[in-house]
Amino acid sequence: MSDDKKQDKKPTKKPARARLDANGDLIQLSDEAGSVSNTALVVGVAGIAAAVALSGGPMTKQFQHSYLTAYMWALSISVGGVWWVTLQHLFGSRASVVMRRAGEIIGASVWVMAILALPLLVPALVMHSNALFPWVNHEYMHSNHVLHAKAGYFNSSFVAARMVLYFGAWIFIANFWLKKSLEQEKTSGDVGFYKRLQGNSAPAMIVFALVVTFCAMDFMMSLDPIWFSTIFGVYYFATCVLTFHSVLVLTLMWLQKTGHIKKSVTAEHYHDLGKMMFAFTAFWTYICFSQFMLIWYANIPEETHWFLMRMEGTWQDASELLVLTHFVIPFFGMMSRSMKRHAGPLRFWAFYVLAVCWFDMYWLIAPNLHKEGMVFTLSDLAAWIGMMGMVAFGIIVGAKKVPLIATGDPRLKRALAFENI
Amino acid sequence: MTMITTESERDKDMTDHDSQAKAPLHGILAEYDTPTAVVKASKKVRDAGYTRWDTYTPFPIHGIEKAMGIKMTRLPWIVICAALLGLTTATVLQWWTNAVDYRWIVSGKPFWSWPANVPIMFELTVLFSAFATLGGMLFLNNLPLLAHPLDLKERFRRVSDDRFFLLIRARDAQFDEEETRKLLLETAPVVLDDVQEDRTTSAQIPRPLIYVAVLAVGLSIVPFALFAKARASTMEEGRRHLVWDMDFTPSYKAQSFNPLFEDGRSMRKPPSGTVAQGHLNADDHLHLGKLPGGGWATALPREIESSAQTMELGQVKFETYCTPCHGYAGEGNGMVHQRATALKQGWVPPTNLLEERLYYQPAGELFNTITHGIRNMPGYASQLDAEERWAVILYLRALQESRKTPASKLTAEERGQLK
Repeated sequence: MSDDKKQDKKPTKKPARARLDANGDLIQLSDEAGSVSNTALVVGVAGIAAAVALSGGPMTKQFQHSYLTAYMWALSISVGGVWWVTLQHLFGSRASVVMRRAGEIIGASVWVMAILALPLLVPALVMHSNALFPWVNHEYMHSNHVLHAKAGYFNSSFVAARMVLYFGAWIFIANFWLKKSLEQEKTSGDVGFYKRLQGNSAPAMIVFALVVTFCAMDFMMSLDPIWFSTIFGVYYFATCVLTFHSVLVLTLMWLQKTGHIKKSVTAEHYHDLGKMMFAFTAFWTYICFSQFMLIWYANIPEETHWFLMRMEGTWQDASELLVLTHFVIPFFGMMSRSMKRHAGPLRFWAFYVLAVCWFDMYWLIAPNLHKEGMVFTLSDLAAWIGMMGMVAFGIIVGAKKVPLIATGDPRLKRALAFENI
Repeated sequence: MTMITTESERDKDMTDHDSQAKAPLHGILAEYDTPTAVVKASKKVRDAGYTRWDTYTPFPIHGIEKAMGIKMTRLPWIVICAALLGLTTATVLQWWTNAVDYRWIVSGKPFWSWPANVPIMFELTVLFSAFATLGGMLFLNNLPLLAHPLDLKERFRRVSDDRFFLLIRARDAQFDEEETRKLLLETAPVVLDDVQEDRTTSAQIPRPLIYVAVLAVGLSIVPFALFAKARASTMEEGRRHLVWDMDFTPSYKAQSFNPLFEDGRSMRKPPSGTVAQGHLNADDHLHLGKLPGGGWATALPREIESSAQTMELGQVKFETYCTPCHGYAGEGNGMVHQRATALKQGWVPPTNLLEERLYYQPAGELFNTITHGIRNMPGYASQLDAEERWAVILYLRALQESRKTPASKLTAEERGQLK
């Protein structure tokens, strides 16, 4: 960021690749802004390397859990982007056209996440280390009849095939929308074009729902192979929507700060994103409580032990803190209209939501490692910082390649003039 | 009336009879033919400082609320108050019914357990909020409005088609017929028109509306009246069954055959290794009469108070369950014993509870005998709970003590009571 400021002070020479839209807005990422991607990559690699060093090696239980926590947090951002872009097409949204390209870029950065999954999958599937996933251990999986019945699902090649399918589906959907959106710029506002995209988005949404559900189960629910919760996928989906909207807000603010799309994106558009952040805070709570209450009420031992673990000792404090920070505080904090229409408060809440979503991932994952009580290690923090760098890297690299506004969409004019009533 | 167009629409007004013509001025109405014009005019009227005025358009116009200087609605505050009221109502209602008024164990959960109550808290919060939103919106907009002076204007009908209107009320503090008219003329309306108060429409609520309201209130009382009647009276035909499958569940008798289970029993065994709530009976002294070391306890357990109240309880239970065989004084000469002896059928006489052996027997062993029975005597655990059994022992100890106490130890008054 400090680099940007220095460059801002220089007399504004027009970047060579500058491209302006009808509004006179800069819609091609400037070279100065684009160069941040290198910094982001360095932060990303350094963060993950630090996490390896602090936890004693890439195959240690601590590193694997720290990395998974940060990874699920980062994955939720691009996965949320894939969903959001599909949703805008499905609803035929007009107001969001001006922000859609930013969403498409975030969604298309999911390829970075596919690569970053390897440090988790290679030890488990290739090297058969059960540092993270207990189901790698063959003896354990046949130690009782519940696990025995699930052993087939956790067959290494089947897991690998599923992972290829998940990331393949996401990368395909994300790139399909981005490609079509770019194609549209050459069609001079063909209405039939986006009608076809609307039709395509319905099956894409079904594929997405299945993929996100099974992915959440495979990466996180499987840390405790006995436990099961059918709502778990939806729970992770709520996180995807929350983190994505926060990152979209921050991406748009960063682009505007660095001199892009200044006139196109207004308080009205931010207002919409803020509404989604608020709504999905309530949605997350709804899903979180639904999961808890049904398990609590039915009181079946193979289900309750998961919550019991989180309701004893310091994990009890963590659970209460999660309810407070993930629901009570943001629910009242993000309720007001003015919070959503002013950059300062909205930026704060975007960072806040990203932080509590990480804490949520930590709460889901860490108790499997530290059963005796909450332990927060520096490797957790380092892995998280590393993932932040990787997320920023994926987004900025993607932003370099394409115009920042989907100028080909005939609904753009409506989006530019959009107002909340 | 000031007309600035050549076409005269005065004659077209629906209410050109005398009473309406003489009615006081309600306000001045300006008519525009474009949304831009009405927005522009609104800004002017807003800046002039008027407060009691409104615009009327065929469709919502973006930005007109800013042009009119309309403040943010107070509705959210009404809604949050209603939401908190709903939350409180749900909490208190469930707490009172489940934890205070009608305590009933459901699914082995505590009487008051918050997770089970959250759905209702959530629902009442939403329900109250929804009602408050609708009701508050109607209230803040002065709705429902059954009549309005503008309804009498023939010209105003075009508000649902292609015309845009702005009305400044005569009630406005700043209203001045000349000044206001001048201001509106500056906004270049198509037509400027006076609006009189409505003197022709009856101020009364329409009859059919009253009938419907009375009927609705009347009908809503019926169920409550039926409840009240049912509570205050008796009936011969027995209770009415509204929900048949709840009133007549296909239940099985405890010892009967049941095809639903593999072993054919109706009565289910508790799962092995489990204890029903409130039946753990972990305190050996209280429930078995034994000390932690293993021997019989000689004293009453801590939970049992050696008080007059316990003594009375013990007397009542002793006289109910023990006297038939052991007699009122515990000498082993109860009515059953006397009858059995008379019948001469080989009867083992009941023990004399006052004999030396029992006087020195530990309380815990006596407790064990009452619980499980001995020789001919059955166990009384199913009739007497642990507390009652200990109370009986306390009373028995008093009976035994009474035989060991010499009369010389008593006070004169106590001696007088002896028969």
